[in-house]
Amino acid sequence: MRLNLRRFDFVLLGATLVLLVFGIAMVYSATQGVESYEDYPLRQAIYGLIGLLLLLLIAAFDYRLLTSLQWPIYVGVLAALGAVAVVGQVRGGASGWFDAGIVFIQPAEFGKVLFIIVFAQYLASRHEQIGKPQWVLGALALMGLPAALIYLQPDLGNAIVLLVIGALMLFVADLPWGYIAGAVAASVLALPVIYANLEGYMKTRIDIFLDPASDPDASFNIAQALISIGNGGVLGKGFGEGSQSQLHFLRVRYADFIFSVIAEELGFVGALFLIVLLVIVLWRLITIADQARDQFGRLLVAGVIALIMFQAIVSIGMNLGLLPVTGITLPFISYGGSSLLTLMIGLGLAQSVAMRNRKIEFD
Amino acid sequence: MLSRPLPPSGRLAILRGLIVVVGIVFIAQLVRIQFVQGQGLRARADENRFRLVEVRGQRGVMYDRNGQLLVRNRPSFDIVAIPSNMPSDEEQMRALLERLEQIIDDSEADLPVHQQPGEAEASPQPADPAAGDEAAPESAAAAVGQQGQPEFRQRLSIDEAVEQVDAAMQGGAYRPVVIAGRVSSETAFAVAEESHNLPGIQLSIAPVREYLTGPLTSQLIGFVGPIPEAFVASYTEAGYRSNDQVGLAGLETTFEKALRGRDGRRNIEVDVNGREVRTVGDIFPSAPGNNLVLTLDARLQALMEEALTRGLEAAKAQVGVAIAMDPKTGEVLGMVSLPTYDNNLFARGITAAEYQALIDDKRLPLLNHAISALYPPGSVFKIVAASGALQEGVIDETTRLGDSFDGRVDGIIYVDNRFFPDDMRYAQPFYCWIHSYGTGHYRVAVREALAVSCDTFFYQISGGYRKTFEGLGIDKLVDYTRTFGFGEPTGIDLPGENPGLVPTPRWKRLTYAETWSAGDTYNMSIGQGALLSTPMQVLNATVAIANGGALYRPQLVRQIVDTEGNVVEEFGPELIRNLPVDPEVVDIVREGLWAAVNSPNGTAKALTVPGITVAGKTGTAEFYDPDIPLKANDRLPTHAWFTAFAPYEDPEIAIVVFVYNGGEGSAVALPIGQEILRGYFNLKYPPQPLEIAPSAAITPTESLPGIEALITDTLPLSDTVEGGE
Repeated sequence: MRLNLRRFDFVLLGATLVLLVFGIAMVYSATQGVESYEDYPLRQAIYGLIGLLLLLLIAAFDYRLLTSLQWPIYVGVLAALGAVAVVGQVRGGASGWFDAGIVFIQPAEFGKVLFIIVFAQYLASRHEQIGKPQWVLGALALMGLPAALIYLQPDLGNAIVLLVIGALMLFVADLPWGYIAGAVAASVLALPVIYANLEGYMKTRIDIFLDPASDPDASFNIAQALISIGNGGVLGKGFGEGSQSQLHFLRVRYADFIFSVIAEELGFVGALFLIVLLVIVLWRLITIADQARDQFGRLLVAGVIALIMFQAIVSIGMNLGLLPVTGITLPFISYGGSSLLTLMIGLGLAQSVAMRNRKIEFD
Repeated sequence: MLSRPLPPSGRLAILRGLIVVVGIVFIAQLVRIQFVQGQGLRARADENRFRLVEVRGQRGVMYDRNGQLLVRNRPSFDIVAIPSNMPSDEEQMRALLERLEQIIDDSEADLPVHQQPGEAEASPQPADPAAGDEAAPESAAAAVGQQGQPEFRQRLSIDEAVEQVDAAMQGGAYRPVVIAGRVSSETAFAVAEESHNLPGIQLSIAPVREYLTGPLTSQLIGFVGPIPEAFVASYTEAGYRSNDQVGLAGLETTFEKALRGRDGRRNIEVDVNGREVRTVGDIFPSAPGNNLVLTLDARLQALMEEALTRGLEAAKAQVGVAIAMDPKTGEVLGMVSLPTYDNNLFARGITAAEYQALIDDKRLPLLNHAISALYPPGSVFKIVAASGALQEGVIDETTRLGDSFDGRVDGIIYVDNRFFPDDMRYAQPFYCWIHSYGTGHYRVAVREALAVSCDTFFYQISGGYRKTFEGLGIDKLVDYTRTFGFGEPTGIDLPGENPGLVPTPRWKRLTYAETWSAGDTYNMSIGQGALLSTPMQVLNATVAIANGGALYRPQLVRQIVDTEGNVVEEFGPELIRNLPVDPEVVDIVREGLWAAVNSPNGTAKALTVPGITVAGKTGTAEFYDPDIPLKANDRLPTHAWFTAFAPYEDPEIAIVVFVYNGGEGSAVALPIGQEILRGYFNLKYPPQPLEIAPSAAITPTESLPGIEALITDTLPLSDTVEGGE
C-alpha cells in the first residue's frame, strides 16, 4: 500500500473543509438563543473533526481491500436495519436510531455508504454482462431489500435516497438505455400505486406540495422558507440577523430549512457560494470517478456522488419550493452527526480512489 | 496486476451536464425569489415580525386640597390567549387551557372568581327606600352615574375560551382573548414561569385604579369600567376604543376628558409565538392624563365619616349624609354619604356576587345620598320663608305672630274651610311642634321664630292667617324657594344629581287633580308636604345665608394640573346667582340662626364649639315610608337635620348633617354637626400647648345685644319635635 499525496485531491478536501466550517457556523446561527439546541454547533464541530480523521484514515487504505468484504457488509447492514425496524427507539417521528450510550446512531445513514460498497462491487464484478436480465434483477433485489427495511422504520426519505443511489450507480455502470427507458416508464405507471400505499404523513407532504392551500398549518413551513429566502436579498440580513430564522418563523432551521437561513442571512451571494461549493465537490468527484483505475472504484465514487447530489438537490429544491417537503437534510451543512460522518466516509473512499487512479506513475 | 485501463465514461459526462442544469435552475429560482418576488416577501417578513401595539396613556390621578394622593394607577395582569399562536388542534388547545386553568386555580384558590357576570344583570332592581317619594331615581344602576355594567372579573371556562379563540380566528387572529382578567401578581408570575408550556398564552399588563382612600371617598371619586353599551357610539366618536375604560361614577365620570390619557402606538418585534422581542419605535408616544386637585380635605372627610358613623350608631340609623362647604367659594370640603362601598372592588374587577350584594343592599350604598336622594328639608327650610316674607314686606323684623289669636297658647292654629270660612267646625287645625309639650310659642318675631323654630309663625307668614293677616302666598313662596336653589340641580361636579321637587299649584293640579290649599302652603313653609330636596341643596341655601346672599355652584375640583404640576385649568368660585334679597334681610335671618344656637331658648343651644361662635338650624322632618313603622301616638317617623356655619362673624365652613329616620334634629344631627365643627377648627387651629399660652385658644366671642332683647324667656328648654299636620 502506497500513499501518493500528489494524487490526493486537495481541491475536494478544501471545498469539503469550507463546507464543514460553513455548516458549523450556520448551525450556530440557527440555534442561538435556544437553550435546548445550545450544544448543537459544538457537537457538529466534533462530528466534523471525527469525520475528517475518518476521511484521511479511509483515504490511506486501499479501497480495493473492501471487495472481499462485500457479503459480510451486506448481511451486517440488513441485520442492523432489521434490528432498528424491530426494536429501535422512537426518535423524531421515525424509529431509525440506535441509542449507543452518548450518541444516537442512525443505521440508515451508515447503511447508505455500506450499500454503496456492496453494490459497487456487485456491479463492477459483472461489468461486461450488466445487460443480462438476471444480473439486473439481482441488482434490484440488492437495492430493494435494505430500502424496504428503511421504509419500514418508517423513513421514506432515506429509502428513496438509497434507491436513487442504486439507480445512479446502475446508470454509471452503463446499464443499457433500454432498461433505463423501461424503468422510467414503469415508475411513471407505478406512481399512483406507490402514492396510494404511502403512509399518511408522506401523502400529506406531497398533497401540500401539489396544493399548498390544502393544509395551511403544514404549508406554513414552506411559505416561511420562501419568505426567508426573499427576505435575504443580495447580501442578506447579516449573520445571525435574519428575522425569519432568529424569531423562529422558520421551523427545523438547523436541519431541513438551513438553506433558507443561509439565503436570508447571507443573501443571494451566500446561497450562490454554497451552490458553487457543492458543484465543485460534485465536479471533482465526477473527475475522480472518470479517472478511476477500475470499475469498482468508479462506481464507489458514483455512489458517493449520488449520495451528495441527490440530498443537495432535494433539500435545496424543497427550500426553493421546487420539490415537496421531505426530512432530507443538506449535505455537510445541516446539523446531524450520523449524516456528516457518512458523508466524510464517502469522501474518504473517493479520496482513496483518487490516490490510486489510473494515471501512469513515474517515480 | 494491471487491469485493462478504464475508458472515460460517457455516463459521467451526462451527470456533469445534469449538475450544471440543476445548478442553473436553482440559481434562476433563487433570483426569482430574492429579486423578482423579493419586495413582496420582505414585506411579508416584516408583517411576520412587526406589530403595531397600542400603548395606554396613564389616567390622571387625584389629590385632595392639601396634596394628599387619593387615586393612583397600579399595574394589573390579564391572562390572554393570542388565537393565531394557539394550537390549531382542538384537543391540544383544550389540554393547554387545562394546564393554564390548573396554574390559575393553584395560585388563585382564595378568590371567588368562578361566577360569570350576567346573573347580576338579570336581578330585579330593588325599590328605593331611602330616596323619598316620587322623584326617586329609578334604580340603583342610576347611582352608577351612567347606565352600565362595571368591570367584572373575567374568567372564561375552557369551553368558552375555545369558543372565543375560534371566533377570534375568524376575525383578527392577533386580537387577544382575555382568559382570566385582573389576576394577582403571584398568579401572573406562575403563568410566566410556565410560559414555555403555554404557547399562545400571554400576560397583558394593564393599569388599574387604586383608590387609596377607598370607601371614604368612593361616593365622590367613583370608579372606571368598560364603556356602557348605550354610550359606545358617542365614545367611539370621541376616539375611544371599544375596550377602553371610562369613568362610570363620580368624578371619574365628570372629569373623564381631563383624566383620560392619550394612547400612543408602538412598533414592536415579535417572535413566531407572538412574544415581544423588542421595541422598534414609538409611532407616537402616549401621554398621561391630567391630574385633579380636589377641594376636598381628606382629613376633614375622615373626621366627618367618623362623626357620622358614630351618630348613626347612636341613633340606630343606617343612612346619613354630612357635607361641609366653604361658604365663601362653594368649595366642598367634605362630603360623606353612608353607607358607602369600596370602589377598589370595581378597580380590580368586581365579582358578580360582590356586585349583587351592593345592588341588593336596601340602604343603597352605591347611591350618593348627598346629591341623588330626596328628602323633605323640614325646618331648615324656614330660612327661605323668612327671607321671602321679610323681602316682600309681609313682615318686618318686629312683626309678632304665632298662636293665642284664639285666646289659647296651645301651639294650634286653624285654617278656615274654603266653603264655610266662618264655621270653626270645618276649620283645619295646624300644629306647632311644641304643641306636643302642651304649650305654644305665644307670639314671636322673625329672629326668635327661627331660633325656637316656631311652626305657627312660618305657617302665617307664608299662608296668611284667617282674615287677620295676609301671608307671602304660594306663588311668591315658590319663587323664593327656587331662588334659593331648590328644584334645580346645584351643578356639582358629580353625575346623577337629583333636582328635587318644588310643588306648585299647577304641579298639584296636574299630578293629583286637586286644587292647592292654604294648608299646602302651610306645610311647605316648614319644609314639609311635597317639597323634596337633596342635602346638598339644603346646604347650598344655608351657605347663601351664611355668606350674605350668594348662591354658589358647589365645587369638588379646584384645579386640573398636568403631570409637571402646571395648572391647566383653575376653577374659581362660580356664582349661580345673588339672592334677590336685601343684605338687611339676610342679616336678620343670620341673626335668627345665631340665636338658635346662642340663645337660651334656641333649638340648637346644645351646640358649643370652644372659642367659635356658630349659627345653625335644626330640623326634624316627618316622612312616610310603608316599610318604617309609625311611632307612638301614630306619629310619623322623622329625619334628623342640622345645618350650621361658623365662625358666625366671618364664616369659613358651613355644614349640613342629615340622618335618615334618625329622630330629632337637635338630638341626633346636632351632635354630629358639633363633632364635625369642633374637628374642623381643631384641624385649622390646633390646640396650643398649655404652658405657652393658655389664653390663646380662647377667642372672645362677640355678642349681639340687640337680639337678646327680642328673645322671651318663657319657653321650655326641651328638645325639639317639629312637624306639620
